Amino acid sequence: MKEKIKLFLDSDLLESYLLGATTTEETLQVERYLSMYPEVRKTYEELQDNLETYAKMHAVKAPEALKERILSSINKESNFKRNFYRMAVAASFAVLISAGASYFFWDQNQSLQAENSIVNNKIDDLEETMRAQLEDVRNQFIVLQNPETKKYTVKGNRKAQELKAVAYINPVKRLSYLNVSKLPHLPKDQCYQMWTEVNGEMLNLGIIKEADSQEKLLALPYAEDAVSYITIEPKGGNQSPSVENIVANIAY
Amino acid sequence: MSTLLEKHIVELLQERDEKAISLLYEHYGDTLLGVANKVVRNEELAQDVLQESFIKIWKKSDSYDSSKAKLFTWLFRITRNTAIDKLRSVNTKSDKEIQIDVSDVYNLGVNSIRPEFMDVRENLEKIETKYQIVLDALFFEGMTQQEASDELNIPLGTIKSRLKIGLRELKKIYGPTMLLLLSINLIS
Repeated sequence: MKEKIKLFLDSDLLESYLLGATTTEETLQVERYLSMYPEVRKTYEELQDNLETYAKMHAVKAPEALKERILSSINKESNFKRNFYRMAVAASFAVLISAGASYFFWDQNQSLQAENSIVNNKIDDLEETMRAQLEDVRNQFIVLQNPETKKYTVKGNRKAQELKAVAYINPVKRLSYLNVSKLPHLPKDQCYQMWTEVNGEMLNLGIIKEADSQEKLLALPYAEDAVSYITIEPKGGNQSPSVENIVANIAY
Repeated sequence: MSTLLEKHIVELLQERDEKAISLLYEHYGDTLLGVANKVVRNEELAQDVLQESFIKIWKKSDSYDSSKAKLFTWLFRITRNTAIDKLRSVNTKSDKEIQIDVSDVYNLGVNSIRPEFMDVRENLEKIETKYQIVLDALFFEGMTQQEASDELNIPLGTIKSRLKIGLRELKKIYGPTMLLLLSINLIS
């Protein structure tokens, strides 16, 4: 052990360490020896004292002006740091604000896009409806104008004597329409429903609304020797016609 | 020699109080300028070195660890390394640009001859030149004993023994000086 310490002390490592001229590895080695061996520690303390004494012997009067220069440059340094921190804080705020603004605009953009797609869908729906209606109107026009079209007057039976309707049937174009011109008033819990018999099956053609029935032509599925019926059903319509409540039938 | 003053300065440094630099300059400025001067051998350059060193000391103040080195040792390391860097940068810049007047090297100027330095100067004279040379090589030039032996063309054994004597002579001197410094510190 003694030998090891002697070898270490002879190696100049401690002196290099004293002057701060050791590598990181060497520094660790020296610090290990310093903590382990009091003898090394003592030598190091002595070296430090020697260094200070010897350095003091070479002292040169440091001018007062230099002190002022140093103090003012340290002051500037601190100010710069302080300013830097201030700027950093300001910059951080700016970043936060712009991040917030970005999120706000992004969010707005998202909702505008959503709205836009809703509007587009609506336009598509409208176009579809318009096209369907236009098609319907054109068919009605064709039927009404066509010389082949036959016109049948439909009258209600005993249950609805006031009922008046006109059926337009065009066997060439295979189109038929019904214009209900008058419907007797019904109690609030009842409605008129339209049916047609095609190939022995009753097809539901929907509820006839009293209000708009007069101007509207109702499209009927065309079939040879078809019979259509109007029945009175409970409000909201029925799955199958109540035969006892037939108020009119249209045969064509 | 960990005096109250030293502790006080270290505390101020850790609190980032600029007063620490003032105190350091008052108590160590002369010695550190001497160290810088020994390395760069030019008073003007040495002052630049001292300024840079103090700024480094201020910036690195939180890296000082009193369990690893005395305050002076730490200050010395920073100053010496700054001086060595300065010397290198001056040498690489251009040898012609900065003409170091040889007569300046050991001319310490009127400023330097002050009564308070007379003691230590006298002390220095007490140490024979041959010991001073090895002490210089060790403390200022950072040479290993082998390097000093090669550089000075003196056998390694002689270097070792001269260093031993030199250090012993130093110890003789700083014994009473320590007492003196201690009493000065206590008074002030």
